[in-house]
Amino acid sequence: MRKKRAFHYFAVGLICVVLLLFSFPFLWMLSASFKTQAQIMGNTGLIFFEPTFRNYVNVFKEHNFLKYIINSFVVAAGATVFSLLLGLPAAYAIARYHMQRLGMVILIARIIPGITFLIPWFILFSMAGMVDTYAALILSHMLVVLPFIVWIMIAYFEALPREIEESGLIDGCTVNRVFLHIVLPISGPGITTSSLLSFIFSWNNFMFSIILAGDRTKTLPIAVFNFLSYSEINWGGLMAAACIITLPVLAISLMTQRYVVSGLSAGAVKG
Amino acid sequence: MRGKTWKGRLAVFAVLVLVLAVMAGCSGRSGGSGGSGGSPSSPAASPPPASSQAPAGGGETGQTARPFEGRSITFVIANHPWGEAIKPLLPEFEEATGMTVNVDSFFEDQLTQKLTVQFASGSSTPDVFMYRPLQEGKLFFKNGWLEALDGYVSGSTDYDFADFSKAAVGSTTVDGKLTGIPIITEQEILYYRKDVLAEKGIPVPKTLTELVDAARQLHDPANEFYGFVARGQLSPLVTQVSSFIYSEGGDFITDGKASINTPEALRGMSIYAELLREYGPPGVLNMSWPQAIGVFAQGKVAFYTDASSIYQNATDPEKSNIPDKVGFAMFPAGSAGSRPYNVTSWGLAINAKSQNKDAAWALIEWATSKEIVLKTQKMGNPGARVSVWNNPESTSSYPPELVEVIRESTKGGVDHDRPTVISVGEAREVVGEIVQRMITGASETEIQTIADEANKKLQEIIDRDAQR
Amino acid sequence: MPYSWFDRNIKWIYTLPAVLFVVVMMVFPILYTVRISFFEWSMSAASPPVWVGLKNYQELFADSRFWNAVLRTFYFTFAALLLEVVLGVAIAALFFRRFRGKDAAKTVLMLPMVATPVAMGLVWLLIYEPTIGAANRVLKSLGLQPLSWLADKHQVIPSLILVDVWEWTPLIALIVMAGMTTLPEEPYESAEVDGASAWQKFVSITLPLLRPTIIIAAMLRLIDVLKTFDIIYATTQGGPGHASETLNIYGYVLAFSHFKLGMASALLVIFFAVVMAFTVLMIWLRNRLGESS
Repeated sequence: MRKKRAFHYFAVGLICVVLLLFSFPFLWMLSASFKTQAQIMGNTGLIFFEPTFRNYVNVFKEHNFLKYIINSFVVAAGATVFSLLLGLPAAYAIARYHMQRLGMVILIARIIPGITFLIPWFILFSMAGMVDTYAALILSHMLVVLPFIVWIMIAYFEALPREIEESGLIDGCTVNRVFLHIVLPISGPGITTSSLLSFIFSWNNFMFSIILAGDRTKTLPIAVFNFLSYSEINWGGLMAAACIITLPVLAISLMTQRYVVSGLSAGAVKG
Repeated sequence: MRGKTWKGRLAVFAVLVLVLAVMAGCSGRSGGSGGSGGSPSSPAASPPPASSQAPAGGGETGQTARPFEGRSITFVIANHPWGEAIKPLLPEFEEATGMTVNVDSFFEDQLTQKLTVQFASGSSTPDVFMYRPLQEGKLFFKNGWLEALDGYVSGSTDYDFADFSKAAVGSTTVDGKLTGIPIITEQEILYYRKDVLAEKGIPVPKTLTELVDAARQLHDPANEFYGFVARGQLSPLVTQVSSFIYSEGGDFITDGKASINTPEALRGMSIYAELLREYGPPGVLNMSWPQAIGVFAQGKVAFYTDASSIYQNATDPEKSNIPDKVGFAMFPAGSAGSRPYNVTSWGLAINAKSQNKDAAWALIEWATSKEIVLKTQKMGNPGARVSVWNNPESTSSYPPELVEVIRESTKGGVDHDRPTVISVGEAREVVGEIVQRMITGASETEIQTIADEANKKLQEIIDRDAQR
Repeated sequence: MPYSWFDRNIKWIYTLPAVLFVVVMMVFPILYTVRISFFEWSMSAASPPVWVGLKNYQELFADSRFWNAVLRTFYFTFAALLLEVVLGVAIAALFFRRFRGKDAAKTVLMLPMVATPVAMGLVWLLIYEPTIGAANRVLKSLGLQPLSWLADKHQVIPSLILVDVWEWTPLIALIVMAGMTTLPEEPYESAEVDGASAWQKFVSITLPLLRPTIIIAAMLRLIDVLKTFDIIYATTQGGPGHASETLNIYGYVLAFSHFKLGMASALLVIFFAVVMAFTVLMIWLRNRLGESS
């Protein structure tokens, strides 16, 4: 028993080290957001320095950040939600009915390098008068997000034990009802993880947004480029902007993590 | 009922999304062509009379109807101090002309990307945009993306086009046609540490040989102080090594033939490479100007050669550790004298497919008028109008030394800082390779072989471009 | 209970919307790109595209810069993928226990993926800066020799691999962690009874059961790593020289710096074929190794 205890503490210690390693550049970014340019390029340390809030003030004052945040949120949420609507049933059917080839078709969308889409889509969307609309952005982001959700959920559905579904079928439920009322409710962790990650992918996508967004629908990553100019790189502003961009997603993931854990501890799958 | 909670949350989420979308959609700017390709706001009215000079400084004509009432155009600019300077002045212009100007700004590379995609798709927006005449001007013009401005300029009274410096106008002229109006000019100058030179009793180098000597004397890597820094990255370095080449009597292209393997050109390049190789900080091969001036502003280097326009990164106390210790000098002379580049780095142009060319020209006319150029230049954007340069008010905020250096540099400057071909991107890579090989250290025979190879490639590019 | 038409065709009704969406969005771009790859076009409005047949492809195949980019892409991809999968699974295993603040820990783990790639690229640029960056400061404080990192043509790809591993290992870890929640209890219970050690349980029960999840995660990552663009573009743009130029970067350079859309399209077509080949290979592998029942 003691050995198990000791190992547990060791493991937790290791977890702390891992977390530190992974968060270090981000911590650096956070501390740099409170520094002046000279301090950032210089030898000032991570924690002990004279902080300034100027960067954050500038970010909100000089750039209409609220608009960008709303735009990014609408597009990312829209892309994720619609991809879930299309993708979850597809993933389930592909998993249960072994429809490999259709699965491949969906995955192909992810294989194509992003640049390929730029000119053709611009031509199409501008013919339809849809440039600088949420619809265009959501549709383009969905092409990135949908395959991701489908493929993660295929693996997830395949790993689910069939007994529950089979008992439902034996009781006379249609496949549709089995899916909606039995499978989906216990797929919390998979759905949460894949939607969260999809949200992030859409949130950070800038190539499509540069081309298809306009004044009304500019998203956050483009705002980051505002701090890169021809004759200076405003490091402090850039770091502040980057931290602000990251915050909403972090908050969302913290909220949803709690949900996943509670779903687990209620013994959803293990019965 | 876990299932219900979960689905309930999803529903709330989706409703939230829809609500936000509706909110944001309704609060968007009404009107304005925002970036949507293709739909003009109103058919192009008959060209306005030649004297419809939009008043530059708020002097409204009062009684006459505003010439562009109800029209709107898209104006795309780069993230550049000039853009920051012109944006607050736009409302005046909109007020006087009645048009709405929709401004969008992008970082250099994204700007090129966006313009390319839109023009390749035949879009009629943006109407007016900033561009880099030496990097993209020729290609854009050959691709039919730029509207020739000769007619607009000659039809415009009070514009005083002759006031623009010849060199600047040279950069925006392609095949004899004026393709853009220059708005920013820059020259290559020498930045140095006043305090370090004074301390060691070293005079400011006037020739390249003196520069190499001084760099050697001040080079002290054990104490993390280096003699010289400059751009070492493949493409970025080409514009900065140009002045070295010119000052040794060489050029990228001479009489229409590639000339980067001539003794003069190689001499210029090898001085640059020697400075970086022997007296430079580690990592130069990956340095573009942000890294190079970063190391300089940290106080770790004695000499730095680069464009005059980025000086604020070294003199602004918020950005630099040595704000008051920076000296500026003319580019040192080589065996052919001091011949730094003096180029137009940015210009304004009109989209050949624009549906609002008259309004677009009105904007350019206003933004490059004497009054406005005075204002933008005062805010740190060296322009191209000679009369404005001669007005001391325009440079009141610059370090006085710098103003002198710029004025001197414009006298003998060369009007290009890179190979003047159409495929500039490719050509820069070809030249940059030679210098990078020199920096990593190669024997003279190796260098000659590499240079001959590169020269052949450059000639191929020239020949190919000639067929366009 | 009589099954309606809906129920009988459920598998099609479920899948077709997604498939149709993807096909519609992809078809025009793919056809456009393939078509342009047979032309030479600088995207000019003045002169139309010129038919050159297979010339773009021939030029690419004869171009040493192209082959170097191919090699570099493979090097980068496999090294990064291997590290990410191994570390990702290890971290998932490490996290598979109950401890306080697990939510917060998982959220922190997501940081590298969440932060805007452009900004993180610039941060790493500063970290790797040989004179004023944190990386060399750490090395010096440990008494080691400072490195050139991104400025040295031999160190640049490993440095970039490190950035990619840092950024995406959490993705694999999180996917595997989600998969771990579906693991059944019985095998563990019987192993416990048989007196198996933690390590044995991990190797003979957990890993095999996780295999489909790991393979899916690896496949998704493989496709993305092959296409890695953001971090290379933000830091070296393919330099020094061309030492970090992968296929995707070269394609971008051809299109937006050299303005040779025909050749860029040919490269993209080839690139697409390569990625397809790998994907098919991985699927075949997955089927060989069998899916969990």
